Amino acid sequence: MAQPIIRPRMQPEEGMREVLVDGKTHLLRNDVMFTAMQHAQGEFSEFFLSLRDEQRIFGHRCPRCRHLIVPPFMKRCPPCNFADMEKEYVKDVGVMAASPVITVFAPSRFKDQVPFGTGRVFLEAQDGTPASTAMLVRVRTTLGTIRPGIYRKGTPVKIVFSPHRRGAVDDIFAVPQSELTPAQLAKSPLAENEIDWDRMPEAAWTGTAPEEGAVLKEAVRLFRKLAEMVRKSPRATADLRSWQRRVRLESPAGAFGFVIDNCQIEVSEDTSATPDLIFRIHDPAILVGWLRGASAGARAGPQSPPLTDLVVEGTLILNKPEMETITRLDRIPRSLRRDLIVD
Amino acid sequence: MRDVAIVGAGMTPCRSRWIEKTFWELAQMAVAESVRDAGIHIDEVEAGVAGIYNDIFEFQAIPESGLQGIIGMQNKPLLRVSNGGATGGYAMLAAHQMVASGQHDLALCVGVEKALDCYDFEAESPTPAVVQTIGYSWDPWFERPLGAHATESYAEVVQAYMDEHPGDLAPLARARIAEMLSTYARNNPYAQRKNEQVTAQQVLQSRYVVYPIRALETCVYTEGACALLMASGDKAREIQKRTGQGPIWITGAAAANEPYFVGSDISRYKVLHRIYSDELATRKALEQARLRIEDIQVMELHDAFIPQLMITLAEMGVVPLGRANDLVEEGLIMPGGKYLLNPSGGLTFGGHFVGGSNMMSAWSVRRELLARNLEHGLIHGTGASLSMYAVVMILERRN
Repeated sequence: MAQPIIRPRMQPEEGMREVLVDGKTHLLRNDVMFTAMQHAQGEFSEFFLSLRDEQRIFGHRCPRCRHLIVPPFMKRCPPCNFADMEKEYVKDVGVMAASPVITVFAPSRFKDQVPFGTGRVFLEAQDGTPASTAMLVRVRTTLGTIRPGIYRKGTPVKIVFSPHRRGAVDDIFAVPQSELTPAQLAKSPLAENEIDWDRMPEAAWTGTAPEEGAVLKEAVRLFRKLAEMVRKSPRATADLRSWQRRVRLESPAGAFGFVIDNCQIEVSEDTSATPDLIFRIHDPAILVGWLRGASAGARAGPQSPPLTDLVVEGTLILNKPEMETITRLDRIPRSLRRDLIVD
Repeated sequence: MRDVAIVGAGMTPCRSRWIEKTFWELAQMAVAESVRDAGIHIDEVEAGVAGIYNDIFEFQAIPESGLQGIIGMQNKPLLRVSNGGATGGYAMLAAHQMVASGQHDLALCVGVEKALDCYDFEAESPTPAVVQTIGYSWDPWFERPLGAHATESYAEVVQAYMDEHPGDLAPLARARIAEMLSTYARNNPYAQRKNEQVTAQQVLQSRYVVYPIRALETCVYTEGACALLMASGDKAREIQKRTGQGPIWITGAAAANEPYFVGSDISRYKVLHRIYSDELATRKALEQARLRIEDIQVMELHDAFIPQLMITLAEMGVVPLGRANDLVEEGLIMPGGKYLLNPSGGLTFGGHFVGGSNMMSAWSVRRELLARNLEHGLIHGTGASLSMYAVVMILERRN
């Protein structure tokens, strides 16, 4: 069933709020700037139909200067005094124009998609030469959440087609060619459901693994302490409202699990249950740093980076791009301070 | 082209939220202040320009229409300018041309913006809605459906520059600039964050908004207004006789916009690791003023993001591209260095009410030229996708 474009929770009810400023009452009126659209895709319809129905990408080439633009954002070449450009199919491979960026705080309509990577790809013409322009695409990885280092300037990529194409630019996205098998690389079009997206647990640890399990035990102890504090804090409890997740945290020193349910956290060393989400961290001391900061407040000394940053930097790897658990956990330290559970 | 001078300026305080004021009131406050500052009656003003970036922020299409009588411009021409982040710069350019062309002797330039009326009722926070509203600046076919937005877009330029020049835009250099600007904001009575001193360490520890840009390297959302009065040479001298306050002359005014789509040929497409528009506009403005960048003593540059500010300075020729760390490490822009940079606290700590923040830059450079007896200042605005717009003006105090 088709989903509403604006989620009901984003739509305000009629209402007027009174706010006191400098002793005087002022009004805030709930409202919307409402314009529904049947937005014409015009001359771009052919390009989007090609993505949707043929799973092929084309650009426009100027017969005079030979520039090839992808996407075909115009039909005439201004430097050649608006010479008519010609349709030309390109390959579904190319290279990154630059390292992609990773959005953590997104516009309203994209906030449930973070973290997401976006970058520009110079797609290849049939003769192997790069297009003159680079196309903005979402970039994804099969190795957990998107993070720096997976893509760089010049990284060869393959365009992948979504199975739920609607005739729009988000029908496609890029993956690094290095993450694909030779058979996947050779296939055109390559569909999203032909790729194994759950390879994160196979990813090898990088660097030297900490040998002792004492750090992990400390992480478990502090996580339990945090869970106790959450029980006493109305704000922290509210941070976990309407959220259920079973999470397994894996590190080279071992694993433990925790469950978020009923506005509470339960920590367990038994990791046999199938998790909704997997966190992988090479050095659990970093997690201990965050937990100490969260449970000891301002007196803990230098603050640990928020968990969000650990995910964005790739220190904490998730098996799927779902930040909600992380952002909710990140709110807890502040809530504990505001409820004076810690100072 | 005739000589043009700034003869008056007025500002409102920059705030994240003015619940108690509409954009009509903010605009009127700034205009009234500029008229008082110039010692004129509003009836002397012949024409005006209104810089308002975004209709959604004002919750009204053609929002300038309501201003007409409120700012004393009834029955006179008022040109609305909307050029993304560079709206204030382009509005000043238009007002300058009204006078330089000989069409008018005294023109008003007012910039105003609301922002935080936008609200995400699901997130119970204005921020995602403000980001979304700015995100409507991206095209609806190829980029906006992917979640393109302002920080994402500028981060692309920053990241591409860092790919091209590894090691430049070093985190500590960026953090030290942010620390400096937070200190400068204390001296700006209108600054939004005038009581928010941050340390370089705090900047380094602030969270990522869009990797690789951190929260404390990012401009703020601001509501406020600024107004400038621009006069011909004769009118400026007449006003000076009345007030005793010297005019600040605009000796260079130029703009350049890069194309929207990214490509490899800088003559035809946006090259991602450059802000070529900054180089072009600076070069043209300096040529008009017959100056070199080394002659500039005070500059107010559009610091939407601190690493973008560093690239802008390199594009302007303050340092070579790839050597932007020298700005900090050699002290060029640091306190006591060759250039006084963003003494208002910039857009990061002073405030960024988009329609008028470049006018705040002019207000600040004028203030510094007069207060410190300096000769040459530069103001800059950038905006739109991938920082593709640029406006540069050269200001001069004459003895």
